[in-house]
Amino acid sequence: MIQLFGKSAELQLEKDVSTRYLPVVISAMIFLAALSIGSLFSLSRAISDWSDTLTGNLTVEIAYDPAVDLDQKVADAVKLLSETPGVTTARALEKPETLKLLEPFIGKNANLDELPVPRLIEIIIADDSAVDLAALNEKLSASVPGAALDIHRPWLTKMVTLGRSIQLLAAAIMLLICIVTVIIVIFAVRTGLIMHSEVIQVLHLIGARDKYIAEQFQNYFSRLSFLGALPGLIAAIIVMFIFNFLVGSLEASMLPPLTLGIEGSIALLLLPFLIALLTKYTVRRVVLNSLGRMM
Amino acid sequence: MVRFENVGMRYGMGPEVLRDISFHLRPGSFHFLTGPTGAGKSSLLKLLALSHRPSRGLVTLFNKEVSTLARDDLPAVRRKIGVVYQEFRLLDHLSALDNVALPLKIAGAKDQRIYQHVAELLEWVGLGNQVDAKPPTLSGGEKQRVAIARAVINRPQLLIADEPTGSMDAEMGLRLMHLFQELNKIGTTVVVATHDLDLIQRFGNPVMYLKDGQLSSRGSTKQPEQSNETAE
Repeated sequence: MIQLFGKSAELQLEKDVSTRYLPVVISAMIFLAALSIGSLFSLSRAISDWSDTLTGNLTVEIAYDPAVDLDQKVADAVKLLSETPGVTTARALEKPETLKLLEPFIGKNANLDELPVPRLIEIIIADDSAVDLAALNEKLSASVPGAALDIHRPWLTKMVTLGRSIQLLAAAIMLLICIVTVIIVIFAVRTGLIMHSEVIQVLHLIGARDKYIAEQFQNYFSRLSFLGALPGLIAAIIVMFIFNFLVGSLEASMLPPLTLGIEGSIALLLLPFLIALLTKYTVRRVVLNSLGRMM
Repeated sequence: MVRFENVGMRYGMGPEVLRDISFHLRPGSFHFLTGPTGAGKSSLLKLLALSHRPSRGLVTLFNKEVSTLARDDLPAVRRKIGVVYQEFRLLDHLSALDNVALPLKIAGAKDQRIYQHVAELLEWVGLGNQVDAKPPTLSGGEKQRVAIARAVINRPQLLIADEPTGSMDAEMGLRLMHLFQELNKIGTTVVVATHDLDLIQRFGNPVMYLKDGQLSSRGSTKQPEQSNETAE
C-alpha cells in the first residue's frame, strides 16, 4: 500500500506525531458516511417501492360488525366494484393476507377470528381511466353499509415527504462529514508544513519545485485517509448486517432492512477511494498555496 | 555571471540590512566575502542563493534578471547554484549518499546515473567509506564535505559557501579551501563568506568587504577590480 501512494522520503512525514490520530478521525467520519449512504439508498428504494405499490391501488374497508355476515358484505362490495367502469380488479383479501398486513402490529400468532378486524378489498384502477372516487365511495357506502374507500394518497404523500426529509438529512450529514474532514486535513497539513519548514527550505534551495514537495504531502495524507477509511467502512458494514439481522429476527417490525442495492454497494466501496481523492486534492491546494507565499 | 546593481534588502518592514550593493563577478572567478558580524554577509548570500528577493535594485544571475523572476522559474536557476551552509543543513534521516544524491533526484536524473556520480564524488571528497553513514554519526568536517558534495553534484555554475571552515580545525579548513580551488579551476564561480582573515591572506583572492550593509574595498588583502568588473 505504501508503494501505491509513494513515500515522503525527504520530509519523513511518517514520523510526525501531529498526524498519528488522523486515521482514527477519518475512520469515524467514514463510519458515519457509510451509515448515511446506507440510509440514503435504503430510503430511496423504500420510497420507490411504496410508490409502485400504491399507484393506482385503492382499498375498500368493511368495518367489523359481529351482528352481520361480513363475507356477504364483501361479496356484494366486490360485485359492485367489478361492475364499475375503470376498475380493473376488485379482489377481497383472504384472511392470511390480512393477517400478513397486520403482522407488524399484532404479531404472527394472532387469531384473526377472535379480533374485530375489518375486511379488506384491493382495487386496481386502469391507468387511463378517470374514476370519480368520491362518487364511488358514496355509492359503495349506500349499497354496502360499513364499507369505505381508502385511497392511500394522503398516507403515501406523508410517508414520501418523511422519506425525502430523512434522505436530505443524510445528504446534509454527508456534506458535513466532507467539510469536517477537509478542515481536519487542512490543520494537519499546515502543522506539517510548519514542522518541516527547514527541510522544505533546503529542498527549495537545491532546486525542488513546489509540486515535488506537494506530492510528498499529498501521497502521505492520501495514504493515511485511505488506510483510516478501511476500518470505518468495515465497522459500518458490520453494523448494517447486525441491524438487518435484528430487524429480520423481530417477528413483526415496521422498520425496513437496510438494502443498498448495486448502486449503494458501489457507493459504499468507493468511499475509501473518494476520501483519499478528497484528501489528495485538499492537501495539494493547501501545500501549493502555502509554498506560493514563500520565496 | 553575477551582477548586483544598487541592491537594497530589508526583512519585512525592518531597516535595510543591505544598501546600494553593486558588483559584478566574472564567470570562473573566486571571491571572498568578509566583514564584521552583522554587516550583512548572510543576507548577501541569501540574495545570491535566491532564498530572498531584494527590496530594491537589480540582481542578474546567468544573464537573467532574477529579482522579479516568476516563482515557477526559480528552481531552474537555483539548480545552477550550489550552496554550502555554515550549519550544513543536511537531512539527518538520509545517508551521506542520499543527501548528496538529492539535487540530482530532484532534477529528475535516472537512479543509475545518480548513484554512479554520487559515489565518485564522495570518493573525491574523501568519504568513499562513509556513503551509508547518516549525518549524526559524522564529524563536523565530514558533514561539511557531504554538504560540499551535495552543493557541487549538479555541477553548479556558482558555488556559495557561508563560513565553510567555521566548524573545523585549521588543517581541515585548508583542505576544504583547496577543494574549492579545484572546483574553481574547472570553471565554477566561487564566493566564500568568512571571518578568517588568515585564510583570506593565504589564498589571496579578491575580497568583497561588507560593513554596515554596504560594500567597500577596505580590509581586502588584494584590491578588488573596480567598476563593473568585480566588487565595487
